[in-house]
Amino acid sequence: MKSKLMALEDAVKLVPSGSSVAFGGSILRRQPMAFVREMIRQGKKDLTVYGYPCGLATDTLAGVGAVKRVEAVYTGLFQFGMSYNFRRAVENGELEIKDYPEVAQAARYQAAAMNIDFIVTKDLLGTGMAKYNPEDIVEMVSPFTGEKYHAVKAIKPDFTVLHEYVADEYGNVQWPDHRDADDLDMLFAKGSRRLIVTVEKIVPHNQITSRPNMTFIPHSWVEAVVEVPFGTHPAPCDAFYDEDDDHMALYQKLAKEGTWYEEYAKKFIYGTKDHWDYLDKAMSASHMAKLIVR
Amino acid sequence: MAYYTMNELMAVAASKELRDEELGFIGVGTDGRAYTMAVGIPMIAARLAQMSHAPNFTIFWNNLLSPKLDEIPPYLTQDYLTKWPCAFQPVTCEDKNEMLANGRFDVSFDSASQIDQYGNMNITAIGDYKKPKVRLVGCLAQPDHFAFVKRPIILTDLKKRTFVEKVDFITSVGYLDGGDSRVKAGLKPYGPWKVITDKCILNFENEERRMQLESLHPGVTLEEVLDNMGFRPVIPEVIKTTEEPTEEQVKVIREVIDPNHSLLRA
Repeated sequence: MKSKLMALEDAVKLVPSGSSVAFGGSILRRQPMAFVREMIRQGKKDLTVYGYPCGLATDTLAGVGAVKRVEAVYTGLFQFGMSYNFRRAVENGELEIKDYPEVAQAARYQAAAMNIDFIVTKDLLGTGMAKYNPEDIVEMVSPFTGEKYHAVKAIKPDFTVLHEYVADEYGNVQWPDHRDADDLDMLFAKGSRRLIVTVEKIVPHNQITSRPNMTFIPHSWVEAVVEVPFGTHPAPCDAFYDEDDDHMALYQKLAKEGTWYEEYAKKFIYGTKDHWDYLDKAMSASHMAKLIVR
Repeated sequence: MAYYTMNELMAVAASKELRDEELGFIGVGTDGRAYTMAVGIPMIAARLAQMSHAPNFTIFWNNLLSPKLDEIPPYLTQDYLTKWPCAFQPVTCEDKNEMLANGRFDVSFDSASQIDQYGNMNITAIGDYKKPKVRLVGCLAQPDHFAFVKRPIILTDLKKRTFVEKVDFITSVGYLDGGDSRVKAGLKPYGPWKVITDKCILNFENEERRMQLESLHPGVTLEEVLDNMGFRPVIPEVIKTTEEPTEEQVKVIREVIDPNHSLLRA
């Protein structure tokens, strides 16, 4: 096994503008925010974003006009409300959206994991999603039973970016004992082409080998692994820290008012030189301590 | 003044639709009123059913199967979700999708910005889909509920702008264009089951599968209902009155199930 440890800046440099990227996590939880902020600092644009439920990562990228298309089951911010940056971009006709329900979208990632180019589903029959997307959602009948289905395309993004808990320097990524499993991160990893994983902590290799059944992404799937503590802030990383209600309230107030770019992005993204500088500007040490869960 | 709130009446009405040994799906919802509809009322309905006629009714919530409903967390911040005791937390949520597609769910609870006379729902876009007047949340698993769950229950306030002749976009397929059009589209025959609102309960009649008034809540007139709908539902000859919650049920909701008053805030 060779070390795949990389600095955040260098890992982000792997992803050129115009790429399609699948972002892991779900709505708020484990959104790769440090990676996304660095993408914005490096001026990445024209991105196609794949998600399961999309949330803070997509809204942040949409807020700086870096996204040209989103394919997901949802885009919003759960208890913090609507995704205003994203919503405004869609309403202005600047961002193309392809909507899929959960069974269909998960199946599309499954197809990528199986390395087939399409898969079938029944949950798009009769829907507007099928009506408005005839190029990607094609009605067909089962050759065995004659039942109706839709064929949907596999999701094979150029890059897959996940934020996880711990890994060793080789990129063996492990679960903690208690976690929130409401996402498709492992499936995203299985079907990835170029997989970049940011983690809260790089741990010694023998911590991985002493409980290998907790490894859910093995080193052989991973291109780069990056240590980024508080890498999903202001969103939560289950088993590590909770959502930052105060920061999210500020984010949402500015996004709703339409002043997010001027007053949020310029201060917390463009106005910070790296992730460490962001953490310093985003919260005090005592605030950080209060977010930590045990 | 009634001794119960409208949310409590809706929760009790919903609990009566839940049967013993069944499995229900509860989603997450966003903030405010949407949260009460998507999470608050269904949670209380589920626990009430467990405590009365359906002791073995259980739910799948977020990604937790059979979470302990006698220990509903006071806040749904991440760490409470992570550590809420439950019987089964799938490795990833493919498992939940497979359960849905396999028809393992008996009931689900859904809400929408628009619903039409055939129970088709829209949570995706108001206006033109490609350049919408208002972009909504997308789909989530709501189309899957309507495609695969046996008796999807709709919870929503009765408003003219919500109950429309035709939805701008069909996110979730109800009875499509009525009659057998749903089956012809390739879906199972059973679509949405009941629509529980803040003024009345509606269902879908058997022939044309149009929305039909089932009962008026106490004190609500037929005119009031029709004034708040963008289409005229089927009106049966005899209109029932929705049963009021008992004083005991109200006490249980306030003191036992939701003592922190976290579920019915809006």
